[in-house]
Amino acid sequence: MTARLLTRRNVPYFLVLPALLGFVCFKAYPILAAAYISLTTGAGAARSFAGLDNYVRLVNDPLFWTSLGNTALILVVQVPIMLILALLLALGLNSKLVRLRALWRLGVFMPSLTGLVAYGVMFSVILSKDSGLLNWLLGLFGVSPIDWLGSPFWARIAIVIALTWHYCGYNAVIYLAGLQSIAKELYEAAMVDGAGAVRRFWSITVPQLRPILLLTIVLSAIGTLQLFDEPFVLTGGGPDNSTLTISLYLYQNGFRYFDFGYASAIAYALTLIVAGFGLVQLKLTGGRK
Amino acid sequence: MNRPLVMVVSATLALAVTACGGGGGSDQKSTGPVKITVWSWKPASDGLASVAKDFEQANPGIKVDVQVVGNPAIWEKITVGMAAGGKGLGDVLHIGIDYLPGYMEKFPGGLADLSELGADKYKDAFAEGLWPTVTGKDGKAYAMPWEVNPVGFFYRSDLFDKAGIDAAAIRTWDDAIEAGKKLKERTGAYLIGLNKPAAGSVDMDLFQSLLQQQGAFYFDRQGAVTLSSAPAVQAMTLIKKMNDAGIVADTSGEGTRKKLISEDKVAVLPWAAWGVGYIPETWPKQKGLWRVMQPPAVVPGGKRTAIVNSTYLSVSGTSPHKAEAFKFLEYALTRPEVINKMFEDGGVFPALTAAYADPRFTARTDYYGGQPALKTFVDALGEGADATYYSGDYARALKIASDAQTQVLLKGADPAAALSQAAQQLSQQSGRKLAG
Repeated sequence: MTARLLTRRNVPYFLVLPALLGFVCFKAYPILAAAYISLTTGAGAARSFAGLDNYVRLVNDPLFWTSLGNTALILVVQVPIMLILALLLALGLNSKLVRLRALWRLGVFMPSLTGLVAYGVMFSVILSKDSGLLNWLLGLFGVSPIDWLGSPFWARIAIVIALTWHYCGYNAVIYLAGLQSIAKELYEAAMVDGAGAVRRFWSITVPQLRPILLLTIVLSAIGTLQLFDEPFVLTGGGPDNSTLTISLYLYQNGFRYFDFGYASAIAYALTLIVAGFGLVQLKLTGGRK
Repeated sequence: MNRPLVMVVSATLALAVTACGGGGGSDQKSTGPVKITVWSWKPASDGLASVAKDFEQANPGIKVDVQVVGNPAIWEKITVGMAAGGKGLGDVLHIGIDYLPGYMEKFPGGLADLSELGADKYKDAFAEGLWPTVTGKDGKAYAMPWEVNPVGFFYRSDLFDKAGIDAAAIRTWDDAIEAGKKLKERTGAYLIGLNKPAAGSVDMDLFQSLLQQQGAFYFDRQGAVTLSSAPAVQAMTLIKKMNDAGIVADTSGEGTRKKLISEDKVAVLPWAAWGVGYIPETWPKQKGLWRVMQPPAVVPGGKRTAIVNSTYLSVSGTSPHKAEAFKFLEYALTRPEVINKMFEDGGVFPALTAAYADPRFTARTDYYGGQPALKTFVDALGEGADATYYSGDYARALKIASDAQTQVLLKGADPAAALSQAAQQLSQQSGRKLAG
């Protein structure tokens, strides 16, 4: 029996079986179940079919739009800042002039390895209004203390700072790999033709990095759309919902208010938005092939 | 499709189905003692653990395993367990008033009907205002009161003296505001502290007790939204008045509150009964400086009591050992000597009125300048607090009300306008009617 089962044609199926099982149990089933739950309403365990009620409610929910707006704002401000910083870091790390490169690279990548809780506690200490490191530093330059987590405007900036600190190194390492794969001959040829450093950057580095730039933009955008950890740990979405993100609102509805149907509807709305981003990426990268 | 493929696919599906639905409840047949697990959090769990031993001795057939699940982790664990049809839940669950109605309303059958097991005979044994909160719409009891925290008014007598304020003359919150202005001017201390931006956690106990003192809350007994009612606007207006007078410190941020109190910058803590033990523990150096009295009323001659929060023990609706679990509840919660032992070991202010006859409730405490601090709270409960209906949408209401308070405190919003918007939002989100 075993011998008959393990034929040349069957073995590949057996090899993918564990992954397939995992996918069916932990991905496909929850995805489909959430789709159904998003069409139901009611209390915790007692559910009844409600059609598109949750989606109608979503469209009319000012808090959902607030969370969407906050997420978009953080996305538009944070992703470019972080990626430009990451690119500059990568250029620096890639320079032949820098000593102790391994150490710098480790230092740049380290924040991405920091656990969520340690990171949250650390930032709430750094950002503390009266005894925080950042306000002390700013104080040296005569800036009066900023209420980082207590003011709606600064709380958003605080999230942007924390996010940038956490993910900048990760993107820098991706860029570094990209920079190292650019053929040296291109630069040599350009130098022979008399191109300066800035010209080489815009005419060689950026075009050569294009697919990688796109990849990081899309990955960061999707990551920010799903932003949860930082506001959850640092601000709880406040003050007055100024840092409420879509994922945080989803979490509140599901696990604080037990409103699983509505939470699932939010999840699907988020999925739609993320899928939209994925499509844009396909268009942008696919068009070049 | 060829045959091997069909076989593989069907095997996959069969495995997937068993893997997804596997791991059902393990109801071992009664060989040996019955084991019941109790879910709670520190420090209350210490109290439970100490009486569990006595209970085991008195009931040789039952073993009690007290598990420290932790707060707030316990709420998610119970939610997930109930959403999974009761799988993996403890037999006895320690539940706070802020979550109890949610579990009762949103997970029918999630908690066991205790009336059936004989709980109703204890109906009048607990502080007034508590039994209605454990009673479901069907009139059955789904929990037994354990802890009750009536609100108090802890104040620094040294700062009051320095500012020339007579605490006994403060009868309404308006009096307190006038006293607070004097206090700020003469001692530099704030009257109270609030986490104004609600950073980290909401700070709504004051607003809620101001509502409760007026017999009001976020919802009425029928479950309609009353967040923009006259009492609510009144309560929020008082908070705004205090804030505008510059007598409310902002306690947001890691360790800020503790620091302000240590530095004599906050003169009043409108905290509940748990403060009696917590304040001496946290600020041992301020021994002899604190006193406690009942909080001022919102309106002249109005009620001064309010129950800030209360916690309960329930039995899981899917527990295979409901009778044994209820036996433990009866043992732990209805005997004065047992519940006072838990008060001692777990710091849980008992809800059982018979417990208050114990001398510890009238004992003088040095920390409070020889004042019998606990007596203030027993007296408050004796006045009879109103029952508060938290409803299944309390978590949502709390968040929305907190947002309104933040708007008032940080952006100077008009209390009536902020609350009316909040009430509408709460009504839209919860599908509940707006009252009146």
